[in-house]
Amino acid sequence: MSPFTLEAGLGVLLLVVFVAGLAARGSDRRWIGWLVLAGVAGLEALAFALSPVEPAPGAIFVQDGLALFAKRLFLAATLVGVLCGLAPAAGPFARRAAEYHLLLLSSLLGMLVLASARDVILLFVAFELMSIPLYVLAGFAKRDGTAVEAALKFFLVGSVSSAVMAYGLSFVYGAARTTALAGVARAASSGDPLLILGLLAALTGFGFKIAAFPFHMWVPDTYEAASTPFVAWLSVAPKAAGFVAIFRVYFEGTGAGAFWGPIVAALAAVTIVAGNLMALPQENAKRLLAYSGIAHIGYMLVGVAAASASGTAMVLFYLVAYVFGNMGAFLVVEAVARAEGSEHLGAFRGLAQRSPLLALAMLLFLLSLGGIPFVAGFWAKLYVFWAAASAGLYWLVLLGAILTVVALFYYLVVARRMYIDAPVHSGRIRLDPALTIAVLLCVLGVVALGLWPKPLVMAALRVAAPLY
Amino acid sequence: MAAQDLRDALVVLALPFAAFLLLGVVRPLRRRGRLAGIVSIVAVAAALVVAVRLELFGAGSDAVGLWPWLPGDGGPMASVGAVVDVLSRKMLVLVTLVSLLVQIYSLGYLHEESAPGLGRYFAYHALFAFSMLGLVLSPSFLQMFIFWELVGLCSYLLIGYYYDRPSAARAAVKAFWITRLGDLGFVAGIVMLWAATGTFDFAPLFAMAKEGTIPFEGFGLVMFLIYLGAVGKSAQFPLHVWLPDAMEGPTPVSALIHAATMVTAGVFMVTRAYPLFVAAPDVLWLIGTVGAFTALLAATMACVENDIKRVLAYSTVSQLSFMMAAIGSGVPRAGFLHLLTHGLFKALLFLGAGAVIHAVGTNDIFRMGRLFRALPGTGTVFLVGTLALAGIPPLPGFFSKEAILTGVWESGRTGVFAVLALTAFLTAFYMFRVMFVAFFGRAHAPYEHAHDAPPSMAVPLWVLAGLTVLAGLRLAMGGGEEHAPPWLLALSLALAVAGFVLAWAAYQAGVVSASALASTFPLSLVDSLARRRYFLDALYAGLYRGVMLGFSRLIGWIDRYLVDGLLNFLSACTLRGGDLLRGIQSGRAQDYLYGVAFGLLALVVWAQLWLRRP
Repeated sequence: MSPFTLEAGLGVLLLVVFVAGLAARGSDRRWIGWLVLAGVAGLEALAFALSPVEPAPGAIFVQDGLALFAKRLFLAATLVGVLCGLAPAAGPFARRAAEYHLLLLSSLLGMLVLASARDVILLFVAFELMSIPLYVLAGFAKRDGTAVEAALKFFLVGSVSSAVMAYGLSFVYGAARTTALAGVARAASSGDPLLILGLLAALTGFGFKIAAFPFHMWVPDTYEAASTPFVAWLSVAPKAAGFVAIFRVYFEGTGAGAFWGPIVAALAAVTIVAGNLMALPQENAKRLLAYSGIAHIGYMLVGVAAASASGTAMVLFYLVAYVFGNMGAFLVVEAVARAEGSEHLGAFRGLAQRSPLLALAMLLFLLSLGGIPFVAGFWAKLYVFWAAASAGLYWLVLLGAILTVVALFYYLVVARRMYIDAPVHSGRIRLDPALTIAVLLCVLGVVALGLWPKPLVMAALRVAAPLY
Repeated sequence: MAAQDLRDALVVLALPFAAFLLLGVVRPLRRRGRLAGIVSIVAVAAALVVAVRLELFGAGSDAVGLWPWLPGDGGPMASVGAVVDVLSRKMLVLVTLVSLLVQIYSLGYLHEESAPGLGRYFAYHALFAFSMLGLVLSPSFLQMFIFWELVGLCSYLLIGYYYDRPSAARAAVKAFWITRLGDLGFVAGIVMLWAATGTFDFAPLFAMAKEGTIPFEGFGLVMFLIYLGAVGKSAQFPLHVWLPDAMEGPTPVSALIHAATMVTAGVFMVTRAYPLFVAAPDVLWLIGTVGAFTALLAATMACVENDIKRVLAYSTVSQLSFMMAAIGSGVPRAGFLHLLTHGLFKALLFLGAGAVIHAVGTNDIFRMGRLFRALPGTGTVFLVGTLALAGIPPLPGFFSKEAILTGVWESGRTGVFAVLALTAFLTAFYMFRVMFVAFFGRAHAPYEHAHDAPPSMAVPLWVLAGLTVLAGLRLAMGGGEEHAPPWLLALSLALAVAGFVLAWAAYQAGVVSASALASTFPLSLVDSLARRRYFLDALYAGLYRGVMLGFSRLIGWIDRYLVDGLLNFLSACTLRGGDLLRGIQSGRAQDYLYGVAFGLLALVVWAQLWLRRP
């Protein structure tokens, strides 16, 4: 089977949505969302039916285990993201559904290509294809001043990062005399300073995408202002793509793990500390999740810093756990915001009385994010720490473990509001069916991975092994 | 046939457990009170039927069933199972019998209790029956310890049944803590024994003792620690102080748990593990000596006590010590016989005392008097129990006590023998003292309202009395020890009669003034010491307040100011750090771009430093 099957399928879906958008009439065009949902579900099924293809030597587009693993994850995240974006009948999302989903799918196409790219130019193009729709989507509510401001900041930081990255990649080409990543990897082993400078500059771009400190500054503003279903997706899918690109460029076949490991470790340490500490004083649920998400990126970087196959596999596991836990938490925020009209943490008061299901789901997500057994996040943190410890990064593990306690504090503050504080308003919260299903999917993921992590761990280990 | 026996034993065990589960899980059933009682009674009655069948018609041979429990390298680390032999068969009958009678009695005794309270009471009773049966069936120290703790839990729950009464709550905690002291030794001993031999099971341990691999070095200490468990559970000096306080529980509970069954667990354990104790002669000597000493000590305290239940409680301590002394002197069979007979007549006495308290509403024997006229039925059965405990033939107490005295005499421990003989005399004295003061003698108050117990209470009393007499006749017809020297039989009888005569003279005829007798030296010293419980309770209270609370306060201070202080300081720093860091999030886009530039520069600098390193 051609390695482009998924991308071609997504291209067809894009065309169908485009035509449907032209044909659609009326102010409620949410049916396009259902169309997209069906399409993405079909692609996800297809992704699970596919098996990795042995890449030809020098291929610039590969469909190996890592690519397929990442694509399944992107599609799953998109599936949940589209599902929870279906609900509001009024407002721009219903009227401009075709536009919204076209942008979302374009970005997704960028991710799919990025996961397979083994060439610097293809990688950069895919990177931009993924990023540019995100700027538009962040400012999708174009009459909302804060959303536009946040989108602009996002765009500014993003384009500067991209520029630095492109600049760096040109150095890489200059030093390696090839754009193929396989050739770059060969050159990297020589330790050419120009090549290293180029790769460092490119790391800025990737750091922006995964939102590592200090490239994270766009995150809180964008998350707070953009629509929550989009943010839920934004907070996981592009990050996962960023990590895959980092593995591809810096580690796959380079043998330079000993060099990049400590640099990533330093990045991990500052990101964990900054993310967790800055999450502490937050009073807005989305900002809290934004900073806690930065901290999670730091934990994943710990696994990257291990620069080993097991470390990479554990990051992949962490990504899956993070997709379910973090998206789930954002979805609950969305549900509460729809009922209360507020994303402030105070809106969570007494949630357990008003909607036991929602409160329990949120509790599970928070426990998973906090790393409590036996939900997915516990294994994710444990495995990442374990990989780092076997690479000798004990100081980093210790730091991460200490800051996990800080993280538990702000997560459990939310849990206390839900379960102990009295509700401000009375009456049960009515739940939208699509949103409920999305939440339940996330609960299922978090709990199933928590109780039975072994198959996914084995799959991740299988996928990561050929990289080193 | 052995398999059939094993199955029967497991059925006996399962029935009360099923009742407990039913009452524990099905809330409406438990809250119906009397219905809950009937469920528990039916289960225990069925268990009794099976147990009796096992005793009378079983194969008679020993059967052991073991199932692996904790997996380990090279075979299971520990097993669970059941052992059916002479000891456990007899104990099954005793436990189910007394449980059944006490539960029936409770229906009458606690008829004024609220329905939910009564349901709770019977649920605990069912759990207790299960735990006690599991204990006697245990084929290993580990399983025994688990059930040992379960009966301890039931004891705690039932002593504190009137949990809204501060004295009952305190007594429950006291019983729990003091027996826990002994259990600490028990569990340490079990683990040490396991570390040395690699097994918890009795059968291989006994085999080792037989072939001489036991005793190993430090075996004495191990057995002493295991014995400590029995010291706590069977109320041996110096851990006997909890048992009199345990009388705060309802009287039927005292009869079942604190007289007939649970407190004998220690004696049972030592009897069960006797082949091991034989290998540690020093510990055996200690068991005998402490037993004799406690027997005498408790008997003197029983002589000066005015609370009818407490007299019986001290008497229980004393009789348990009799059994321990017998084991320590090398006659565990006599001790076990006394365990069985004592279980019958002490339950009878407690239930009788309960009927008296039920009728007159006080525990103080000096506020009773001439009760025999008002309560002829209760008086008669109480008299049977008294005669049995005092050791008057042909009631069973005479034979079992005489078997102990014979065994001790033949073992050559004259000192222990003398102390036990003195105790036997005191036993007769304090029991007839209660009899004369409460049932005969002067009436202290008119008892128009006092009347004999209702049938649900009277029937168990008469059944127990009948069984006591039957057991005595059975022993008289040749079940007892045949080789007792005639002078010893005469001595036993003489001691009992002497106790009776002294009590009659002091409390009925008034020939001797009890107070005058008590004020002559050296009896005055004993009297005042016994009244103050030999200062043991005060000593424990002092230790608790001085040492334990002092230490706790110190630890509390360290926790509050040093540990918490450090943590508070750290958390304050963390929060402050969060606030400070938040300052860099200015909201201005140019600052964000500076961030990117700064990050790139920092990366380059860090990489430079890293590259320069050799």
